[in-house]
Amino acid sequence: MSVLIPWVLGAGVILLLVLAAIFLWLRKPAPKTVTPVVPREELAQELAPPPQQPPAPQDTGRPKEPQLPATYGADRLVLLARDPHWLYAYWEISATRQEEFRATFGHEAWQASRPVLRLYDVTPGEPAPDYLEIAVQEGADNWHIHVGRPDHAFRAEFGRRLPDGRFVPLLVSNVATTPRASLSERTDEEWMWLEELYRAYLRTAAGASSPLLVEEMARRMGALPLTISSPPFTAAR
Amino acid sequence: MPKGYLLMVLHAHLPFVRHPEHEHFLEERWLFEALTECYLPLLKVFEGLVRDGVPFRLTVTLSPTLLSMLCDPLLQERYVAHLGRLLELAEREVHRTCGTPFHPVALMYRELFGECYRRYCYHYQRDLIASFRRLQEAGHLEIITTAATHGYLPLLMLQPQTVRAQIAIAVDTYRRHFGRTPPGFWLPECGYAPGLDDILKEFNLRYFFTDTHGVLFAAHRPRYNVFAPIFAPAGVAAFGRDVESSKQVWSAREGYPGDYDYREFYRDIGFDLDYEYIKPYIHPDGIRIQTGIKYYRITGPTDHKEPYVPEWACNKAAIHAGNFMFNRQHQVRYLAGVMDRPPVVVAPYDAELFGHWWFEGPRWLDFLCRKLAYDQDDLAMITASDYLAAFPCNQKTTPCASSWGNKGYHEVWLCAANDWIWRHLHWAGGRMQELARRHRGADGLLRRALNQAARELLLAQSSDWPFIMATGTAVAYAVRRFKEHIANFLRLDGEIKGGRIDEGFLAWLEHKNNVFPDLNYEVYAGG
Repeated sequence: MSVLIPWVLGAGVILLLVLAAIFLWLRKPAPKTVTPVVPREELAQELAPPPQQPPAPQDTGRPKEPQLPATYGADRLVLLARDPHWLYAYWEISATRQEEFRATFGHEAWQASRPVLRLYDVTPGEPAPDYLEIAVQEGADNWHIHVGRPDHAFRAEFGRRLPDGRFVPLLVSNVATTPRASLSERTDEEWMWLEELYRAYLRTAAGASSPLLVEEMARRMGALPLTISSPPFTAAR
Repeated sequence: MPKGYLLMVLHAHLPFVRHPEHEHFLEERWLFEALTECYLPLLKVFEGLVRDGVPFRLTVTLSPTLLSMLCDPLLQERYVAHLGRLLELAEREVHRTCGTPFHPVALMYRELFGECYRRYCYHYQRDLIASFRRLQEAGHLEIITTAATHGYLPLLMLQPQTVRAQIAIAVDTYRRHFGRTPPGFWLPECGYAPGLDDILKEFNLRYFFTDTHGVLFAAHRPRYNVFAPIFAPAGVAAFGRDVESSKQVWSAREGYPGDYDYREFYRDIGFDLDYEYIKPYIHPDGIRIQTGIKYYRITGPTDHKEPYVPEWACNKAAIHAGNFMFNRQHQVRYLAGVMDRPPVVVAPYDAELFGHWWFEGPRWLDFLCRKLAYDQDDLAMITASDYLAAFPCNQKTTPCASSWGNKGYHEVWLCAANDWIWRHLHWAGGRMQELARRHRGADGLLRRALNQAARELLLAQSSDWPFIMATGTAVAYAVRRFKEHIANFLRLDGEIKGGRIDEGFLAWLEHKNNVFPDLNYEVYAGG
């Protein structure tokens, strides 16, 4: 046993020397790479992170943030109007529905087909059942849709387009109506629009006393609502 | 008879932030700061006006979650402790600043916090709601309500029963505190969508407020622009916000609050002073936070800031009140000339603007009420109820879906930063209705679980979470709160469905998320 001790010690010393050499070797080039760097603030922070970062306040003593399910095992397509020009749709398809699809169109049909979102303009009084088709990304479960049609009603369909071009609808949404983006053209008989009020108000708004109205509306709407879609006013001028 | 009317609304709301599980919780300070800087100073203004016999008439929303927090013993206790620490700091500051230009400001804070402490503890005995109630009963304030947890109703309208529950619980909470039916309703974020008026009508709510274009872009062009209300199809009146008066107060750039003599919000000693000195008054984990003691005035568009001078700021508040009144007089005189009835100028503001962001806001309001009462005859303050009593006949048309958020529609609550919440909210909303219909008249443990599931759903529906996610500050907290409430709901849903309710977990949730203790889940059953 006692014979082994010098060997163990010797090995330990050699090991330490090797480690020290590696350490020094690793350290040495470091200044080289750091010095030529232009002292930009972002880079400096990246290279020299603060030695001891205090734990984030939110993490101390609190339970882990819960994870919400990505799907609820339902078949649903919901359409929401975000503003006069945009809609938002989200959807999910149950495994059962996918199985039905495969059973009908063949085992490979799901992989071979592409997801499609269809948007129908269902505004009452509109002539044709005109629709917009969007090829959404495979695996996407929501989409922001630009329609650019204020005061129109829409219904969406989600489905898959087969390689032969057929569209297979799988989900149907609720109806969502985009809000108006301007003054209404409708000035019903019972309540005549008091033209004077608007005309004079615009005059002050354009003058020195209250540019606020026009400016504020312009900022919020990206347009001057009082000057658009008001033919009586334009005519009066 | 005045030439026109000014309808001012102060909308007071905070999300339900109550964390019995931690002694120091950063977000609870939202309530403490609002109490010290807004609610107590505003009450002081109102009571001062009453004391001096100044006639005034204001509309105030007290949101159901705010009412719940104001009467919560744990939060009351914590607020008193918070004020105690603040007073101690103010005292130390008075000594530290001796002989510097900051000394008068330090004295001001000591006086201010001391007064808050005395009034909160002794005068109100921690019960602010009672004093709001007295002001309403004396005819100075008209207090209205808003959705139970300030849910963003236009996007919840996919399931009208969940909107009905938000309103039913709000009306119930209001009745409990004020002993009457609320006369009107503040739509959270002024978010309107056609059909909401039908539900408001069911609860005898007679009016609501929209942003300018909510009325201006109505289905039929409104005869009087936004200077008279319109009746939504259900017969509920919609009052549209006046742009000019809003902008003068709201705009950070051109509005009054940006005046160079006013207090600078962003320079707080919580960030400016030596760490070791300020440590006992910031978060125990060493996170620097706003203490409420701020020594500088806005000074100008520079980083260099000069010390705050209370007298200068007070003078400016008086000047700005006079300017606001002058502009409104000018406005109604002009409008009265082209209208065949007196115009009503609707000026709604977040109450938290007054005192918190705009430190001098309560003073400004004080000056404004006094000037309106004594310095002119063109304008009278009015409430929506008074207006509707005087002018019961109004144009009938459907308001435009809108909000007072950025860009005027629903985008703030439905954008890339928060669109993911809606699939969970709608799912949980559907499940809650299903549970309520399936378990009508439940009792015992099942009833408790159903009621708590409803509370968790309501708390998840708060418009504050998506708003915070969209604005990018305190996002982590909002995301966590949202996920926690949905996860709690889903767990309760599963336990109810499986018939195995974990009483320990339920009791913990009842203790922690104890909003609306008298809630009845059957409000989700409908019919």
